[in-house]
Amino acid sequence: MEQTSLLFYILSSFAIAGALGVIMARHPVYAVLSLVAALFSLSGIFLLLHAYFVAAIQVLVYAGAILVLFLFVVMLVDMAPERLFRLRTNMLNLGGALFGLVLLWEIVVAACFFTIAPPATGAGTEGTTAAVGALLFTRYALPFEVASLLLLAGIIGAIVLAKKRL
Amino acid sequence: MMPSHFFYLLPEIWVGALALLILLLDLRWKGRGHTKLGLMAAIGLLPVLPLLCMQRQLDTLELLHGMYRIDSAALLFKGIFIITSLLVILMTREISKTPAAAQQAHGEFYLLILSATLGMMFVASAADFLMLFIALELITISFYVMTAYLKTDLRSLEAGIKYLILGSIASACFLYGVAFVYGSSGSIRFVEIRQFLQETPFSAGCLFGLFLILGGILFKTAGVPFQLWTPDVYEGAPTSVTAFLSVGSKSAGFLVALRVFHELFISSSADWAPVLVWVAGLTILYGNLGAIPQKNIKRLLGYSSIGHAGYLLIGLACPSSLGSTAMVFYLAGYLVTNLAVFLVVTVFSSHTGSDEIKNYAGLSKRSPLLAMVMFIALLSLAGVPPLAGFIGKFMLLLGALSQGHLTLAIIGAVAVVISLYYYLIVVKVMYVDRAEDSSPVPVSLPMRLALLFCLLGILGIGIWQEPFLSLSFAAVKGLF
Repeated sequence: MEQTSLLFYILSSFAIAGALGVIMARHPVYAVLSLVAALFSLSGIFLLLHAYFVAAIQVLVYAGAILVLFLFVVMLVDMAPERLFRLRTNMLNLGGALFGLVLLWEIVVAACFFTIAPPATGAGTEGTTAAVGALLFTRYALPFEVASLLLLAGIIGAIVLAKKRL
Repeated sequence: MMPSHFFYLLPEIWVGALALLILLLDLRWKGRGHTKLGLMAAIGLLPVLPLLCMQRQLDTLELLHGMYRIDSAALLFKGIFIITSLLVILMTREISKTPAAAQQAHGEFYLLILSATLGMMFVASAADFLMLFIALELITISFYVMTAYLKTDLRSLEAGIKYLILGSIASACFLYGVAFVYGSSGSIRFVEIRQFLQETPFSAGCLFGLFLILGGILFKTAGVPFQLWTPDVYEGAPTSVTAFLSVGSKSAGFLVALRVFHELFISSSADWAPVLVWVAGLTILYGNLGAIPQKNIKRLLGYSSIGHAGYLLIGLACPSSLGSTAMVFYLAGYLVTNLAVFLVVTVFSSHTGSDEIKNYAGLSKRSPLLAMVMFIALLSLAGVPPLAGFIGKFMLLLGALSQGHLTLAIIGAVAVVISLYYYLIVVKVMYVDRAEDSSPVPVSLPMRLALLFCLLGILGIGIWQEPFLSLSFAAVKGLF
C-alpha cells in the first residue's frame, strides 16, 4: 500500500510539472514535449488504478499518435518563440494568477473535509480490455452510440472548416 | 432490446436518421439543392412532435441501464428543442438564398443543426453524468463549427475561435466538477447521487464539484462571470446560429441546471442558493446595462440574452416548485419571443446585408409586418403586460419575494425599466426615423408562417396562460 501511494505522488507530481511546462515553455516544441510527459505520467496513474486498457490507450493514442501529429503541426507552422512570449506578458496574468490561487485554496479547503466514497457500480472489476468492452456494449451502450455521432459531427465539422471549396 | 425501449428512443433515432439522410442527399445532389434540403430537414422534424405527445405519461421511466429516462420535463424540453431547431432551419434556408452565402456548402450546416438538436434531446433524457456530458459535447462541438461557418468572414472566424477556447475550458470545468461529485458520492447516476445527498446533507467534495459544474452551466447560459464571450460570438456567428445559441443552447443549459440543482442537490439548497442569488442579480445588471450603448442589433440581443439568463437564474435560485415552474414558463415565452426577433433580423439582414440598428430606420413603411412583429416581440422581451414575457417575469419576481430576496426582486424590476429603454430605441428607429432607402423588404412564405407562429405564441402564452402554466408545472413536478 505504501509503495502505491509513493508511486502515485511521484507520478502526479510529474504530471503537474508536465502540465506547467506546457503553459510555461517559450518554445512550442518544448510545450508539446511536456504534454507528452504529462500524458505518460497520467497513464502511469491509470495503471495504479488497475485501468490497464485506459493506460494503454492513453499511451498509444494520446502520447503516441495525437501528440506526434501536434509536433508535426507545430514544426510546420514554425511559430517564433519570442513573439509568443511577448503575447504572454500581460497585466491580465496577475488577475489570472490571483483567481487561480483562490481556486487552489478552495480545492485545499474542500480536500480537508473530503470523504471518498467507494464506487458503487463496477466495483472490483479489473480494467482489462474484455471488462471495458463488455461494459461498453451493455451498460454504456447508449453513450457509446452517441459518442459515435459526436465523432461524425466532429469529422464533418473539421472537413467543412478546413477545405476551401466543397 | 425490448420493443417498448425502441418506442421511447424513436424521436432521437428519427432525428439522427434525418441528419444522416441530409448528409447523403447533399452528396447525391452535389451541394446544389440546398433550399430543398432545408425544407426537407424542417418537414422531417415535424413528425417528432406528435411522437413526443404519444410518449406522455405520469411516471418517470428509466431505460437502458439507467442511462436514459423519460419524464415530463424531458418531453417538454424535447418539444422546445424541436420547435427551435425547426425555426432555425427555416432561418438558415432564408440566409442561404443570399448571394453572399451561396458560395458556402449548406448540406453540412443542416446536419450540424440536427446533430446539435439530437444532443439537446439526449441532454433532456440523460439520467447519468456520463450520458449528460457526451450529449453536451455533441451540442458544443456542433456549435463550434456552426459559429465559424462563414469562413470568409473574419468576425465569424473570431467568434468561432473565442467560442471554441472558452467552451473547452467550460467543458473541462464541468467534467472536473463531475469527477469531484463521483469521488465523494461514489456514483455518476442521478438517482444514486440524489439518494447519497439526502443521507449526507453536507459533503464538501460534492459541493465543490457542484460549483465547478455551475461554472460550466453558466458558460452555456451566458451568466456572470462566464458571459464575456456572448456579445462577440452573437455578433460574429451567422444569424440563425445566434438564434440557436440564444434559445436552444440556453434552454439546454437551464435544463441541466434544473436537473443538477433542483433535482440532485435540492437537499443542500441552503449552501448554493445564496451564491445563485448573487449570480442572478449581477447577470441581470450586466446584461441590461451593457445593452444600452449598443449600435448593432445582434450585439444588443447578445447583451439582452445575458439579462434574460439573469432572470432565469432567479428561478434557479428559488429551490421551490414555484421557482422552477416560473423558469420553464419563462423559457417557453422566451423561445417564441426571441425567435420572432431573430426571424425579423434574419429577413432584414439577408435582404439589406446589414445588422446595424440605424439601418432599421423606416422599417414600418418598408415592411409593416416585420416592424409589427419586432415591436410586439421587443415589448414581450421587456415584459409588458399582455405578452408572453410579462407573466414569466412576474412569476420569477414573485418566486424571489417568496424566498425573501427583496433586493433581487428590486433589481429585476428596475432592469425591466432599463430594458424598455433600449428596446424602445429600436422601435423608435423603426417607426419614427426616416429611411434612406425606402424600397420594400420582401418576406417569403415560410418566413411569414414562422413569424405568424411566433406572434401567436407570444400572444397566446401571454393571454391564455393556463394550459402553459399547468404544462410547466407538470414538467417540474417530477423533479422534486
